[in-house]
Order: sequence, then C-alpha cells, then structure tokens
Amino acid sequence: MTLRVLLIDDNLDRAAAVTAGLEADGCLVMGLVPDHADIVAQVRAARAEVIVCDLDHSSRDAIESMRALHRDEPRPVVMFVDRAEPASIAAAMEAGVAAYVIEGLSPSRVRAVIDVAVARFASHQALRAELADMRSALSERKLVERAKGLLMQTRRMSEDEAFRALRRLAMDQGKRLADVAESVIAMAKVLK
Amino acid sequence: MTFAASSTLDAPRPLAAPRSDVLRLGYVRLTDAAPLLVADALGLFHRRGVTVSLSRVGAWAALRDHIALGHLDGGQMLSPMPIAAHLGVSGLATPLSVVATLARHGNTITLGEALMAEIAAAAPELAALRPLPAQALAAAIVARRGSGRPLLTFAVVFAFSSHNYLLRHWLAAAGIDPERDMQLVVVAPPMVANELADGRIDGFCAGEPWGSRAVHLGLGRIGLTTADIWLNHPEKVLAIGQNRLRQAPERISTCVAAIIEAGIWLSDPANHGEATRIVHRTAVPDVPEAVVGLALARQLVLAPGEAPTSVQGLQFHPAATYPHPEHGAWWATQMQRWGHIGAQPDTLIPSIWRPDIWRLAALEAGISPQTPPCPACPPIA
Repeated sequence: MTLRVLLIDDNLDRAAAVTAGLEADGCLVMGLVPDHADIVAQVRAARAEVIVCDLDHSSRDAIESMRALHRDEPRPVVMFVDRAEPASIAAAMEAGVAAYVIEGLSPSRVRAVIDVAVARFASHQALRAELADMRSALSERKLVERAKGLLMQTRRMSEDEAFRALRRLAMDQGKRLADVAESVIAMAKVLK
Repeated sequence: MTFAASSTLDAPRPLAAPRSDVLRLGYVRLTDAAPLLVADALGLFHRRGVTVSLSRVGAWAALRDHIALGHLDGGQMLSPMPIAAHLGVSGLATPLSVVATLARHGNTITLGEALMAEIAAAAPELAALRPLPAQALAAAIVARRGSGRPLLTFAVVFAFSSHNYLLRHWLAAAGIDPERDMQLVVVAPPMVANELADGRIDGFCAGEPWGSRAVHLGLGRIGLTTADIWLNHPEKVLAIGQNRLRQAPERISTCVAAIIEAGIWLSDPANHGEATRIVHRTAVPDVPEAVVGLALARQLVLAPGEAPTSVQGLQFHPAATYPHPEHGAWWATQMQRWGHIGAQPDTLIPSIWRPDIWRLAALEAGISPQTPPCPACPPIA
C-alpha cells in the first residue's frame, strides 16, 4: 500500500537517501521541507499520512503544537536520530506515542519501521478515544446524579421518582439523559 | 550519520557520551539560560565537583526527547512542559522532576508596527498606554471583523509554554477568545522577527533577546511583559529525568547549588557586563551584545529609537529559584482550561515538583533552606 510521507530535514544529502529508501519501499514522498517557514501550512497541504522528521529539527515545536493550537487531526511523526541507548529505544517504544527511533537508518528498514510506528499510533489513538469515552460516560453519570439530587431536594421526590422524571423528560424531548440532566441543573441555578 | 544542527548557526557541541559522572543538560538559545551558562563559564559546577556538559538544542520537543532517549539527563524547560511530558500529552512520555526555577519573568509581548497602527486607529486613547491593555487589541480585532481582513495572528514558542498560557489569560480577561477571535501559531524564537517582517504574524510572545531584537530591527514595539500579566511568575525550570534523579540525587542538588550561586552572581549589577558577554558568546552570537544586555540589566527598549526603560524583568535571586508546587498546579489549571489535559489527581504536581532537592541545594549553597514566600498566582478563570 502506498503511504504518503512528508519529510522534514535540513540535511539535504541525508534527505535524498531517505527519500530513495522510502520510494523504493512504496512510499510516496509528498515533499521535503528544508526549513520551517510556514510549516503548519505545508503539513496541511501535503495531506501526508505520516511525517518523517529529524529529531533536532527546529520546526518540531510547531508540528507538535498543531493539535493543541489548531485542533488539527494528529499525525504520526517518525523521528530519526543517529544513535540511542538500547534501553532508551525500549523506553521510547513503550512510550510509543507518535514517535519511533530509526537507529542507523538503513534505507531498507525505513518502511518497516514506519509501518510499525503508524500501527502503534493508530492503536494509541483508539485507546485514547476509548478513554475519552469512558471519561465522558463517568461525567454524564455525575450529571444525572446531580440532577436527581436537585429534584429530590426541590420537588421532594424519592430517588426513584427523580430518575423516572428525568427519563420521561428525555424521552418526551428526544434528548439524551445527560443533556436533560444538564438543563435541569442549569435551570435550578437560574431559579435559585 | 552526524547530528544535524537545527539552526543555521555553527553546530552545537555534540551531545556527550553517557558517562555516569557527567551530568548532560540541554538549553535553548535564550537569555534566561543564563544561570546554566554562567555556572558553566565561571566554573561553579566544576568547583563543587560536578562535571556538567551543556548542549544547545534547537527545539523544546527535541530537548524532551533527548532526555527520553537517554542522550541528556535534563535541562532548561518551559514551566508547563514537565506536566505535558509526564502525561505524554504529545511526543514521548517522559517522567521529569522540576528541581529548581531558573528564572522569573523575561518574556515580552511584541506587536508589529502595522498592528500598532491599526490599534492607534481603532483605540487612540489606549494605544500609547504601557502596559498595553488587551482592550486595545480587542478594538483592533473588532475593527478587522468588519473589513473582511484575516484574523490577527500571534506567535508563541510552544503549545505547552508559559507564553501560550499567559497570553491566553491576558486575552481572555479582556473578553477575547484566543481560539475564535484570533489565531495562535508556534514559531521558534529566533524566527519571530523574520515572520513579523514577512507579515505572517502580527505579534508574538517570546523570551529575550528575541523581543528586543525585533524592536532593534525596527519591526515592532513591546506592548507589555509577562510580568504585567502575572507578577513574579516562574519562567524556565530545571527539569531532570526521574531515573537520573533517582540514580544521583546528591549530584543533582550540587548542580542546583551551583545554579543558585550563579543566580546570586547574575543579580549583582556589577556583573551584568560579564554576564552579557557570556550569554552573547555562548547562546545568541547573532544578536548584538547591547541588545542581549538589556534583559540582563532588567531593561527594555520598548519602541525603536526610545531610550531603555527599567522593567520587571528577569530575576535570578535565590528566592526566585525555589520551585513552588503551587505554581505547577496553576499551570495545570490553565492546561485544563484550554483543553490540553484532562482533570488530574492532586498527586500529579507533587510527583513532578521537588522542592526537597532545592532545599538540599540551598544548604550546600549556604543560603536559607526555608521555603521562600510563594508569589500569589493569578485567579483561575
């Protein structure tokens, strides 16, 4: 499968070798960014599936900030460094977020390494999304609990009655239970 | 393969090979790296029996990753960064410990000449005020809205930076939504003047000497400093990889003692000339020495052609070097406020901020190990 890669490197000789390695392995190199002018625009325009970047490149802070500042879809970033202690490579893989280390960078290994990095990135993203879902489920349950409490206090309902009232509201309005709970809480604040 | 230098300057010293008795620390090309640079240049580390090897790094993310990969043991870091690195918010998850604050204050919010003209037109009564109120910027934003011009663009140095959070705090207090009413981008500090000249950004928040350099080049003026947003705010910290701290806590505290000593030396006006020469030579040889010297003397030239004014500038004195966990907690609230991290347990900050190491260092440096008064944090919005 063709993988669209954006390469970021100041060292043009090395970039040429990496490009050759990537293309021989069926990657499509979308472009080479030698300096960091307008890096965000270039990353977006390239529509690359993965960024391959020199660990020390001065544009790294801009690339890494894209998600936090612009809500950009995160992309896996594969970094190359010239050396790393074996223990730290293991640690990096353990942490294996959006990064990977290519030691020695033998062109024939580049594609395999990138494939692993992309797969790890995808599974990490899935895990993150799952965690976010779990967190929001937790906070939704808290909302419902608070709304129930308010109804019990102000309407002198039992816990069961309060829950049924919320559920009825949700069904009548075609809304989610958590949304109804939220508006009950908001309303109680206004009426206080 | 050799390490690629990421700036166009001469290549930084190659990273030292791992030797257990050498402490390898990274820094970025900024005036507030001074305590590290001075302690090295004056032999303060050496005199206390620690061998420190300093390496210049071209990006904050690179500094963190070199620690994660075992190339460096620690280094100068933006205050919110250890929190993001600890949580693995982006890049390699890297457990770090904050063992000292390297400096307070020292960032400017610099506005391009074109934007200053827009502000003067939109809010003539506010444009000349120092510090510039964010309402002046809000007036320019409103004026632009009707004209079909693009959103104002400001640069910060990194998402997880004091610059980003203090700028946002200042904007939001004036009713400006930093994500809807303007655009924030990340630009490496040595590049901000070029970006301003090319019109790609309208202003920036960055550490010295980069704001002063933009004024020196006639590209903009300094509207305010981050001390105007949070008086006595901690700026850079010294962060050490947690593994490394566990292996050699005494060596780290001795290193902090030398940094406290360097801070005392930097606080003496008699040493400003020599401090300027050290910082200029090692970190920013491409910026005129006189421009570098301003921040070290706690002065700024606010607009092209003006005389230097005294400001609440860089502080390196002993109390300023204490790493207050309360301040770490404030950065965490701001990271939550802007959706960069989720809710965190109370145990997070105490597992990163380590004033106990600073106290050992204070005893070694011969100053009081008592916790200095904690400067108040801004209200949490």
